[in-house]
Amino acid sequence: MVKINDIDRTSTFAWSQDVIPLLATGTVAGAVDANFNSSSSLELWNIFSPTDKDEPVFSASVENRFYGLEWSKPFEGRPKGLLAGAFENGVVEFWDADILIKTKDLSKASVHKSTKHSGAVKTLQFNPNQNHILVTGGSKGEIFIWDTKTFSDPFTPGKAMTPMDEINSVAWNQSVSHIFASTSNGGYTSIWDLKSKREVLHLSYNGQLGRAEFSSVAWHPTQSTKLIVASENDNCPLILTYDLRNANEPEKILQGHKKGVLSLDWCKQDPELLISSGKDNSTILWNPITGEKLGEYPTTANWAFQTRFAPSSPDIFGTASFDGKIIIQSLQDTSPPVSTKVTANNDDEFWNKISTTDTQQPTFVKQQAPRWLKNPSSVSFGFGSKLVKITSDSSGKSVIDISQFVNNSNLQNSTDKLTK
Amino acid sequence: MVTIGNAHDDLIHDAVLDYYGKRLATASSDKTIKIFDIEGTQEYKLAETLVGHEGPVWQVAWAHPKFGSILATCSYDGKALIWKEQPETQQWSIIAEHKVHQASVNSVSWAPHELGAVLLCTSSDGKVSVVDFKEDGTTSHVIFDAHAIGVNSASWAPINTSGKDSQNERRFVTCGSDNLAKIWKFDSSSNTYVEEAKLEGHTDWVRDVCWSPSVLIRSYIATASQDRTVLIWSQDNTGKWQKQPLTSEKFPDVCWRASWSLSGNILAVSGGDNKISLWRENLQGKWESAGEVDQ
Repeated sequence: MVKINDIDRTSTFAWSQDVIPLLATGTVAGAVDANFNSSSSLELWNIFSPTDKDEPVFSASVENRFYGLEWSKPFEGRPKGLLAGAFENGVVEFWDADILIKTKDLSKASVHKSTKHSGAVKTLQFNPNQNHILVTGGSKGEIFIWDTKTFSDPFTPGKAMTPMDEINSVAWNQSVSHIFASTSNGGYTSIWDLKSKREVLHLSYNGQLGRAEFSSVAWHPTQSTKLIVASENDNCPLILTYDLRNANEPEKILQGHKKGVLSLDWCKQDPELLISSGKDNSTILWNPITGEKLGEYPTTANWAFQTRFAPSSPDIFGTASFDGKIIIQSLQDTSPPVSTKVTANNDDEFWNKISTTDTQQPTFVKQQAPRWLKNPSSVSFGFGSKLVKITSDSSGKSVIDISQFVNNSNLQNSTDKLTK
Repeated sequence: MVTIGNAHDDLIHDAVLDYYGKRLATASSDKTIKIFDIEGTQEYKLAETLVGHEGPVWQVAWAHPKFGSILATCSYDGKALIWKEQPETQQWSIIAEHKVHQASVNSVSWAPHELGAVLLCTSSDGKVSVVDFKEDGTTSHVIFDAHAIGVNSASWAPINTSGKDSQNERRFVTCGSDNLAKIWKFDSSSNTYVEEAKLEGHTDWVRDVCWSPSVLIRSYIATASQDRTVLIWSQDNTGKWQKQPLTSEKFPDVCWRASWSLSGNILAVSGGDNKISLWRENLQGKWESAGEVDQ
């Protein structure tokens, strides 16, 4: 499958929760194209469609540019979930995805628009367990919690302990729904508890390479005390895993990016898979539990500012970069290396071609199969009603049993009676 | 009867008896395949460890004995390998490598032997391939797109030897991460496989599919899914495939594998909770538990 599609947009994006997902894109703030075009659009793509994968299935212009876009899981009254956009002018807007897909009318699909934030809204995330709850973060240290069932006045998570200027990333805990983390350009990652209404813990890192400037945070898919943070400091381009039971030192330090890390996504279906992307234009696959780098995907021609697994089909992920592309590719690629064929008469053409990702392939340090391919049990029949069973325990030990299948005697009796 | 523990250094994903029930081949995440001699009703002996795959091995499939002692295996490394035991030396070696897929090869299955040595492979690259191993030692293959996101498994239709051109009898069912199963039939005019039916009913990845091997009774297809259900498919009077849930309530965990007994009347299902259950159809056409396994 390898590279599935390129979308020619400089946009932030969000996957739908479907097994064959749709992709929503919103023109990203903080970049202009060669024509200094300042327009912005919200679009939907059906990249797995055999017919119209190269054109958006929906496109509408919006007034401002996006810093973030999120697509909730379905919840009561929202059969395809809600789309939420975080805008550079402080607006947060919500659209009903089902209405948007059916009517292709942005104003009909718009369910709420708020100017609660007083400055740019930089980041947002829906709660994985309370699907209608959203957290947003932005400039001036503003963080708000939204209830998208009632759209009552959003509330703040409480008192901060650390100085915060701009919130650049937020992440809900995957198992405890009233806990979330935020990162800010003050150099802290903050842990918030909505029950006690305050910042309960904060992390900072100052190591040999310098002080981490946190850009992105994600929680362990199942273990509630573990999280991972990335630093966008070019001198200290690290990804750090922490167990909050001892927040003084990172558990693992993932070293491999050559410049600051901008985005990361911890796979929900396999805690041993994480993707990250950054200012060195690279997208890297890691095992965050062991701290090993597993492989590296073709580099983009400019900063790779966002990378995300498709939530229900994590074999697929997308990376958005400032070179005007969102690349959708598969996690695995076993095709043999092809020799780069760049045949061009003039030099300009040569260098143009070599800078594109088409000439590259991912390189894997280690072949680590994702958990969702590893069946823990199996069964097969053999000659003479022999049954072969495989079962395994939690430590990964498998046991094989070969036994003789015996007919259910009651049923056998009734069949015998019938045949008499 | 026979219990084999500590056979591999990592999870075992598949274990299949040969045609005579005398040898067992196993596939593991430790990248190896092992062959055990099963002696009597209690004893077993490790006969061989096959090393050659570069990733976890997902499945093994014995070819019909008329082709010799031949095993097909598939792996996360994107390959299917064909292994043969030389009758004189009893040494196993790789006799063919099938490397047309771009991602994990998730299943291998040999066609009914009447069709020749024909191997069906499914892959996470979304494609299905069918390889013909011809008598003159050459091979040819057909590869086509089957399920977006990935193909998880496949199963051949039993052969109906009622005098038709055998080439036209090539039919199989595949299942994938698009929540679907699809039935394919060989089309000689286009030299590829065309979709004959689409089995829609699951709400999550379809992990395994198994076509009941007997043509003597009604033909059934079982599909096992991530959505914790198993569906039984059979054709109505008009030839349309109709589904029936195996159980009224969902299984406690993901349904990973489904396997029919050789006579086709017992279905075994393995789940993510490590439970294996057996099912049969009662006289009212409902599916019910088919007793326990004698340990």
